[in-house]
Amino acid sequence: MTERFELAIVGAGPAGMAAALEAKARGLSAVVLDEQPRPGGQIYRRAEARDARLEAALGAEYAHGMALTEKFLAGGVAYRPNTTLWDLSPELRLSVLRDNRAGEIDAAHVILATGAMERPVPVRGWILPGAMSVGAAQILLKTTGAVPDKPAVLAGSGPLLYLLAAQYLAAGVEVRALVETQPGANYRAAAPYLLPALWQRKLLLKGAAMLRDLRKHGVKRWQGASSLAVEGNDACTALTFAVNGKRERIETELVLLHEGVIPNVHVTMAINGGHDWDATQLCWRPRLDAWGATSVDGVSVAGDGGGIWGAEAAEHTGRIAALGAAQRLGKISEEARDRAASHARASLARLRGARQFLDLLYKPAPGQRLPPDDVIVCRCEEVTAGTLREVARIGAIGLTQAKTYTRCGMGPCQGRMCGPTVAALVADERKMPEASVPPYRPRAPYKPVTIGALAAAVDADTPPPDASAGAH
Amino acid sequence: MNKPDVIVIGGGLVGSAIAYGLSKNARVLVLDEGDRAFRATRGNFGLVWVQSKGFGAPHYARWSKRSADLWADFAAELKDATGVDTHHKRTGGVHLLLTEQEVAARAAMMEQLRREAGNDGYDYEMLDAAGVRSLLPNVGPRVLGASFTPYDGVANPLYTIRALHTSLAARGAQYSPGHTVSLIDKEAGVFVVRTDKGSFHAPKLLIAAGLGTRRLAELVGIRVPVNPQRGQVLVTERLAPGVMGGGVTFTNARQMVEGSVIIGDSQEDVGLDNRTTVPVISNIAARAMTCFPVLEKAQIVRAWGALRVMSPDGLPIYAESKTMPGAFAATCHSGVTLCAAHAREIAGWIAGGARPEPTLKLVPERFDVPKAA
Repeated sequence: MTERFELAIVGAGPAGMAAALEAKARGLSAVVLDEQPRPGGQIYRRAEARDARLEAALGAEYAHGMALTEKFLAGGVAYRPNTTLWDLSPELRLSVLRDNRAGEIDAAHVILATGAMERPVPVRGWILPGAMSVGAAQILLKTTGAVPDKPAVLAGSGPLLYLLAAQYLAAGVEVRALVETQPGANYRAAAPYLLPALWQRKLLLKGAAMLRDLRKHGVKRWQGASSLAVEGNDACTALTFAVNGKRERIETELVLLHEGVIPNVHVTMAINGGHDWDATQLCWRPRLDAWGATSVDGVSVAGDGGGIWGAEAAEHTGRIAALGAAQRLGKISEEARDRAASHARASLARLRGARQFLDLLYKPAPGQRLPPDDVIVCRCEEVTAGTLREVARIGAIGLTQAKTYTRCGMGPCQGRMCGPTVAALVADERKMPEASVPPYRPRAPYKPVTIGALAAAVDADTPPPDASAGAH
Repeated sequence: MNKPDVIVIGGGLVGSAIAYGLSKNARVLVLDEGDRAFRATRGNFGLVWVQSKGFGAPHYARWSKRSADLWADFAAELKDATGVDTHHKRTGGVHLLLTEQEVAARAAMMEQLRREAGNDGYDYEMLDAAGVRSLLPNVGPRVLGASFTPYDGVANPLYTIRALHTSLAARGAQYSPGHTVSLIDKEAGVFVVRTDKGSFHAPKLLIAAGLGTRRLAELVGIRVPVNPQRGQVLVTERLAPGVMGGGVTFTNARQMVEGSVIIGDSQEDVGLDNRTTVPVISNIAARAMTCFPVLEKAQIVRAWGALRVMSPDGLPIYAESKTMPGAFAATCHSGVTLCAAHAREIAGWIAGGARPEPTLKLVPERFDVPKAA
C-alpha cells in the first residue's frame, strides 16, 4: 500500500525532529521515518527513556535532547520507527522496509536528515576483537548503559574522543591513556579562529572541563602520536604508536579509535545529487542552497548530513529546510519563510564560527588516512591498502574502477567504511587531488533487503515474466 | 608512451582483450574514459555462454562456441602471467522455464539451433518438470522445465579486466584512463587521436569504446549502429557455496566464487540511463524466488543497472575502415564470452592476419539492406 504525505523526513535525530515540528506548524502533512526504535538519532539515542544514571554520565546536553524528543513525540507528526529507506526515486517515491515488509511512501518533498558517520580509522590491527570505534562504544553506552569492564585506551582525535573519556570516567571506567593524533601544526592553523569560537563560550568551557576531568583522574595524554597500531594475534593486547621520534607501547585489551565524523552522503550520492569536496573536514558534502535544497528537485538535507556542524546547528538547519519546503509547496510566502528563518540563521552563523576552530584543530594528519600496505581497508571483502595501491597504479582513477578490480566496497556496508580511505589511497598513489577522485556510486538498496520482501510486492498468482527472454 | 604501433580507444573487456593480444608483438596504447563511464564490463553477469546464441545466425553460434572453447587456455595464460584467477569454469548451463508457453518456445528454439548448427553439432537437452527436480533439487515447484547445454560456463569479468590490465602493464603496453576523445584524424598516413588531455599518434587504430563506438567510428568512416539496452541486476550477501544446487550455471541467478549470488537481468530500452527502478528489481526478485525458494531470506546488498551495447540484430560488429585503412572498430554485447576469441583471433586479424571465418558476415554492411516495404 502506498501512503501519501506532503513532506517525508528521513531520520529522527535533532534535524529531523526539528524539521517535523516546524513543518507541522506550517500546515504540512509530514511523516518521519527512522531506522531506530526510538527517536533522538545518534546524539540523543534513547533520550526519552529517562535513565537517571545515564543522564548523569551523558550530561546536560542530553537533557535538552530529552525535551526535544518529548516535544516531537507529543507533536502529532506521523512517526515510523524501525523503518529503513532503501530507495528514493526521482518521482520522490520512498521504498521502505519495516519488520522485513516492503512499503511505499509518496511525497511532494523529502528532507534527508540522516546525520553523520564516523570517519573510518584503518590502522594496523583495527579489525582485531578489542579494537572498536569510539562511536560504537558510545552507542553501547547510550543504548544499554553498557560500559567496558576493563581499562580502555582512547586514540585518535576530535571532540567525541574527550566526550567519551569524560563519560567513561563519570561511569567509573578506567581510562588508561588518551593518545591524540592531531599534529602540532593543527594548533597553529586553528589559532586564528579561536576568537570567533569564543562566542561559543559554552562549547569551549565544556571542552576545558573535559580536559580538567582527565587531569583530575590522572589519565595519561599523549599528543602528536602517529602510525598507530593495534597489537595482538586473536585479540587486542596493546596499542603502539610513534611520538617524538620514539615508538611507545601501552598494554590494553580495549582500544577505542576515532578520527572525527563525516556527513553520511549515501543517499544524496545514490540519487546523483551534486557534492563538493570539503578540504578542511576531508569529506564530501552535498551541494545545498540556503534552504538546504540539493540539486535534485524536491530533496533537501538537514543536519550533519549536509556538513558537520553539530547537534545544536542540526535543529536550526532542520527548521530552515522545513520552511524552505513549506514555501516550495505553497504553504507560506517567501517573506513569511525568510522572517521565520531569521532567528535560526543567526544562531547558525554563531555556531559555524566556532566550528572552523574545531575543524582545523582536529583535521586528520596527512598520513593518517594512508595505512601501510598490509592493513585491510575494506573489511567486507578483505582488501588491503597494498592491493589498492597496486590497482591505482594499473589504472584506477576513481572508486568505481578500484572496486571493479578488487571487489572493495561490494560487501554489506556498500563502501561506507572503506570509501574515504580508498579515495585517499588512489589520490596519493596517482598524485591526484582528492576532490578529483570520483567516489563510489551507491545504489539501491541503501540498506539490505531480502529477496522475499521484494518479491512480496509482486502479484503471487502470475509467474513473473522472463525479463531476459533467455537471450544470453 | 613514445610512438605506439596501435592505439586502442576503449579499455573495457573488448578493447582490453584485443589490446592484450596485440601487445604480444606491438607497442599498444589503450585510451579509456573516466571512472564513471558507462561500462558494460563491470555491469554484466559473467557468463561464458553459448546456449541460445546465434538463433538464425549459425556463424555467430560458431563464433561464441569457438571462444568458449578457447576460454580455459586463455584463463590459464592470464593466471600464469598475472597471478589473477579469472574463476573460469565450464559448468554446463541451464535456463529455467515457468510456463507452458516458455517451455514450447524454448524447445522450438533449441531444435532450430541444432538444425542450423549442421555438422558442427549442437548438444542440448530439454528437461521436463520431473527431470528438472531430479537433477536440480533446489528449484521451486513452479518450474515446469529447463533447457541444458554442456557448452556454457562462467568467468568473473572483474578479475578478467584486472588480469588484462595487469598483463598489459607487464608487457610494456600503456593503459591510460580519464580521456574524452574529441577528434580522430589521419595525417601523413598516421592516425591522430585528440583527447582533452593531448594528442596521440599511431599508424593503426582500434575503436572498441562500447556505446561510444558509434560516434568515434563515424570519424573514421565506419558505421556502427549500436544502442544502449539497460539490464538490472541484484546481488545478495555471501551465501553458502552451492546454494542453488546442481553444479550448473543458471541464466538468471549465478553464484560467484566468493559466495554472493547475482540475479537478473532485464532488457529495457531507456537510453543512456543506468539507474535501477524498484518495479524491475522487484520482478527480478520474484522470479528468482519462484525459481529458487531457498533464496527467500537472502539479503540483497546491492542492485545495479548497466547498459548493454546492442546492434540492431544483437550480433557483434567487426570492421576495418574502407576510407581510412588501418582503422578498425569492434563491438559486441558479449564481451566476456567472446573475450578469448578477441584476444586471439581478432587481435591476430588486426595485427595483419586473416579475418576469422565466423566473423566474415559480422560486418556493418549487413545493416545497409533496406527494410522491405
